Amino acid sequence: MKKLLLVLFCLCNFMYAVEYDALQGKMLSLSCASCHGTDGKSITITPYIAGMSKTVMYQTLLAYKNGEKTGTMMQKHAKGFTDAELEQISYYFSKVER
Amino acid sequence: MINRRHFNKILVGSVALSFAACSSITNVSLPKDRKRVIVVGGGFGGATAAKYLKKFSPETEVILIEQNKEYYTCPFGNTVIAGINDIDYIKHDYKILESKYKVKVIHEKVKKLDGATNSVILENGDKIPYHKAIVSPGIDFKYEKGYVKGSEQFAPHAYKAGAQTTLLREQLEGMQDGGTYVMVAPANPFRCPPGPYERVSLVAHYLKTHKPNSKIIILDQKNSFSKQGLFQEGWENLYRDMIEWRSVEFGGKVLSVDPKRKEVTTEDEVVKADVLNYIPAQKAGQLAFDSGLTKGDWCPINTKTFESKLVKNIHVIGDATIARSMPKSGFSANSQGKVAALQITRLLKNKPVVNPPKLANTCYSLIAPNYGITVAAVYEAHEDGIKAIPEAGGLSPMGADPSFRALEAEYAVGWYQNQTADMFR
Repeated sequence: MKKLLLVLFCLCNFMYAVEYDALQGKMLSLSCASCHGTDGKSITITPYIAGMSKTVMYQTLLAYKNGEKTGTMMQKHAKGFTDAELEQISYYFSKVER
Repeated sequence: MINRRHFNKILVGSVALSFAACSSITNVSLPKDRKRVIVVGGGFGGATAAKYLKKFSPETEVILIEQNKEYYTCPFGNTVIAGINDIDYIKHDYKILESKYKVKVIHEKVKKLDGATNSVILENGDKIPYHKAIVSPGIDFKYEKGYVKGSEQFAPHAYKAGAQTTLLREQLEGMQDGGTYVMVAPANPFRCPPGPYERVSLVAHYLKTHKPNSKIIILDQKNSFSKQGLFQEGWENLYRDMIEWRSVEFGGKVLSVDPKRKEVTTEDEVVKADVLNYIPAQKAGQLAFDSGLTKGDWCPINTKTFESKLVKNIHVIGDATIARSMPKSGFSANSQGKVAALQITRLLKNKPVVNPPKLANTCYSLIAPNYGITVAAVYEAHEDGIKAIPEAGGLSPMGADPSFRALEAEYAVGWYQNQTADMFR
C-alpha cells in the first residue's frame, strides 16, 4: 500500500512536471557539487549523479524529502527545496554528460 | 602610474603557457573585446569563484591573484595536527585552474582594491583594472590580552593552515605524557564554529593513543558552541574525563595570556599549559579593511549578488562577510563563490540576476577517525538577509549507533575530496 501510494504520488507529480529552466537548474545544482563533485562527478564514496536518469533522481529526491528514504544527510537537504526545484535539479544532472 | 614592463614580466613569469598565447591579456588597460574579472584570494571562496566564472563564461578573462603558490585547507587541518594525515594531505595548488580552466593566476601580494578606479593595486605598485572583482580575503586576528604578533610562534593558533598546523603538531608530539593541552576558544563570530571542538576531539584521540595520562582544558570565550550536545556525547563515549570544557561564565574567561610562558590568567586562576593553542578573536582579512569594504569587523554585502554594500563592482565572499545566517565555513564560501560567479556573469551580460539564489552548507566534524557528526542547512537569499529554510537541515541524531558515526566519518572524507576537487581540479 505504501509503495502504491508512493507510485501514485510520483505520477501526480509528473502530471505537473515543470519545464526545464536551464538557469534555475544550474543555480540550484551549485551547492550539490560540494559533496557530489563538480557537475555531480564524484570521485569518492558520495554517489556519482552526473547523467543520472531525471526520473530516478527526482523520485529519489522526493523520497528523501517525504521521509520515505533516509541517509545521513540528503533528507535534510531535500527538504530545503520545492518539488519543482528538485525537478529542475534532476533535469540539470540528467543533462550532464557522464 | 602603470608600470607596463613590470606587469608583463609578472604575467610571463608566473602564469602558464596557456595565456602567453593571448596577447591581449598582457595589456594592462582593460581588454576591449571581453570583460575582465579579478578574483583576489585563492581559498575556498576565491578558487571556486575563479573556476566557476570560467565554467559559466569561458570568454570572460579571469585573473586570480593569490600571494601563495600553495594553499593549505583549514578543513582536515585538525587531522594533520592529530597525526592522522600528513601536511601534504591538505596541500593544493593552482596549476589545474590555469591549464584546464584558463584562469590566469598571479602570485603577488595585493595592497588594496581601489573602488574609485576599479583597479587592484599590488604591493609592487602595479595597478590592474577590472570590470568586476571578487574578494575572498578570509580572516585576520585581533591581537589583545597579551597575544601579540609573534605570539603564534609560542602559542600557535593554527587557525590559518600551513606552518601553524605543523608547529602545533610538533608541540603536541613533543608534549610529555601527563601534560596539559590548553585551548583558548574564541568568542563569536569566528571561522568554522565547530572547528575548535573538532580539534580537541582529535587531539584527545592522539593523546588517548600515545599519552593517555594527559588532559585537555578548553577556556571558552562563550557559553555554548556549535554541535555542543553531539560533541559532548562523543567526548563522554570516547574520551571520558580527558576533556574539560569551561564556559566563559564558569571559569573560561581569559583576562590575559603570556604566550612564552604558556600561562593563561582567568578570573579564577593562572592556567599553566604544556601546549597552548590560543585561537584569538577574529575579524575580516586586512585587505578588506584596506579596501574600505568593512563596517565594524566584517564586510556587509548585498545578499543576492554578494556585491559589497560599500564599494560598487566588488563582490565579497567567504569568512570575511556578514552573510547571516550562513556560518563562516569552507562549504559556505564555496557555495557563495559559485553564486557570486553566476550573478556576475549575468550582470556583465546585462541580464537579470537569479532571484532568489539558493545556497547550502554542511559541516562535517570528526570526533575520532571513525566517528563523524554533521550539521546542514539550505538557504535562500532575501533582501533583508540570507535565511535558512526552516523545515530543512539540522544536526545528526544524538545517541546514534557506531555504524552511523562511522558512515558520517566516511562521508566527511568523501566531502573533503570532492570539495577540494571542486575548487582546484
